[in-house]
Amino acid sequence: MSGGKSGSMIGPVRRSASPRRLVAIGVTLIMLLSPFLWLLQMSFKSNDLILQFPPPLIFTPTLQNYASLWQGAFAASFVNSLMSASFSTALALILGVPAAYALSRWAGRGKHALSFAILVTRMAPPIAFTIPFFLFYRWIGLLDTVTGLVLVYTSFNLPLVIWMMQPFFETVPSSLEEAALVDGASTRVVFLQIVLPMVAPGIAATAILCFLYAWNDFFFALILTRTNARTAPVAVVNFMNYEGWEWGKIAAGGSLVMAPVLIFSLAVRRYLVSGLTAGAVKG
Amino acid sequence: MSGEGLVDAERRRFNRIALAPSLIVLFVIAGLPAIYLVVTSLTPFQLVNPGSSTDFSSPLRNYRLLPGDPRFVNSLWVQAKLSFWGVLLQVLLGMLLALLLHTQSRIVEFARTLFLIPMVLPPIVVAIIWKLIYTPDISPLYYAASLLNVTMPSLTSSVDFALTAIIIADTWEWMPFTFLMILAALQTIPEEFSEAALVDGANRLQIFFYITLPFITPILVISGMFRLIDSVKAFPLVFLLTGGGPGSVTEVTNYYAYLLAFDFNEIGYSSSVTIVMLLLVVAVSLGVVWMGRRREAMA
Repeated sequence: MSGGKSGSMIGPVRRSASPRRLVAIGVTLIMLLSPFLWLLQMSFKSNDLILQFPPPLIFTPTLQNYASLWQGAFAASFVNSLMSASFSTALALILGVPAAYALSRWAGRGKHALSFAILVTRMAPPIAFTIPFFLFYRWIGLLDTVTGLVLVYTSFNLPLVIWMMQPFFETVPSSLEEAALVDGASTRVVFLQIVLPMVAPGIAATAILCFLYAWNDFFFALILTRTNARTAPVAVVNFMNYEGWEWGKIAAGGSLVMAPVLIFSLAVRRYLVSGLTAGAVKG
Repeated sequence: MSGEGLVDAERRRFNRIALAPSLIVLFVIAGLPAIYLVVTSLTPFQLVNPGSSTDFSSPLRNYRLLPGDPRFVNSLWVQAKLSFWGVLLQVLLGMLLALLLHTQSRIVEFARTLFLIPMVLPPIVVAIIWKLIYTPDISPLYYAASLLNVTMPSLTSSVDFALTAIIIADTWEWMPFTFLMILAALQTIPEEFSEAALVDGANRLQIFFYITLPFITPILVISGMFRLIDSVKAFPLVFLLTGGGPGSVTEVTNYYAYLLAFDFNEIGYSSSVTIVMLLLVVAVSLGVVWMGRRREAMA
């Protein structure tokens, strides 16, 4: 990072980028992304090639790492990740979207207290939930099940839905709803047929964020699963434990785990910050 | 009038039906676990000794033990160092990056998205990426150092560098977050301010210190506090890169609580450590909410 060397980057004046600035941006980008690109190129190398230095600039990429992952137990972990993330997203949306709508139209007492409780749920370190969930699951036999993961993920996805959806509902003009109500429609019908279609993009963005948070989880899955419900992030780490260090497989596994995340999150770029800050700041 | 009253009643009924399931589920999957955590923290519960889960004979025993536990005190100190340097670097570098990319251009707008990649990667993948960088046999970093005739120590197993290695990885991961927030703030500064200052003969540095910086200071603080809260969660990096070591040089409180509960089976004691951590997080969260409100009131 070159600090304040080029004077034009200091001021708030928005102007089209100078060539010098474009070069600086390009260099910074390559530097910052190089660790990420290193993992990616490693996933296409054989283990011999990975250990070879200086690294060859041009090599024949191989898919053998990916192929061996797919034939092994990793595929099942990938499916577990998909299922637990999808189901918890669906559950959180079904429960949270109507609640967010009600809250957005409700100025009653306790709204701030409820909001803060939701914020704390989002901010609490995962271990705070892991201990009780672990003990409870051990007791009722939900350890190492996808159902167990879905429930845990819902504990942070439901607050996220309630937080993120409220501003979307606030943008729906209340005159629309009132007109329908005057015509004799019930609130339920107004909500389902008028309001919901208008916030569809918000629901899509929220759904993607929920999916990503659940997909990205490592800690809960590490403790609450063993073999049956093991998720992809935990499975990748397990490659580090035995049979030596299979770097090619680790890199390919890591690349597979991040693939859906990269695709989806670039689609919801605008909402990334409001999701992360859980609504305490207006994005 | 009576028609409106009817609509209101119907609306209230709808609200109750819409809210109730969420509130019940939240209570069951977030409220009850929180209560259970507090209860467990009042017992000397060990997994190997099931009877101990309901032993409330000395409820504050765990909390009395905490101040005298050198590993716990050390973990708070490690967390403080990790949080301080992480937050400082992320806010500072995020600001520089935001200033660099605060410009109008199609290409730059596309580049902004690419800069977000480290933040959206699954945390465990970030940990794997840095594991590759920090493992001498396969690391381009160590190869580059050897070309320069520099012998680098193994960073993650060195008492002096292990925590720094984690701070670097954490900063790489989260700088895009502060960058994004600060960039959004930069874009709200009215151009007339700096144009007027330019006319008055101010140089770029003066514009930065007298116009830009005061404008974005609140967002610097807020983004820093969000990172402060989340820095408590830095688990995958510690887990994969150092395992808390060497010794307990990188053992943050979160990791210590994890070891206590799931390695040493000291569920009760671990719960009390977690409660203390939770209280710290809640305190900072309250601060963030308060600042957010004040900012909204000002705007």
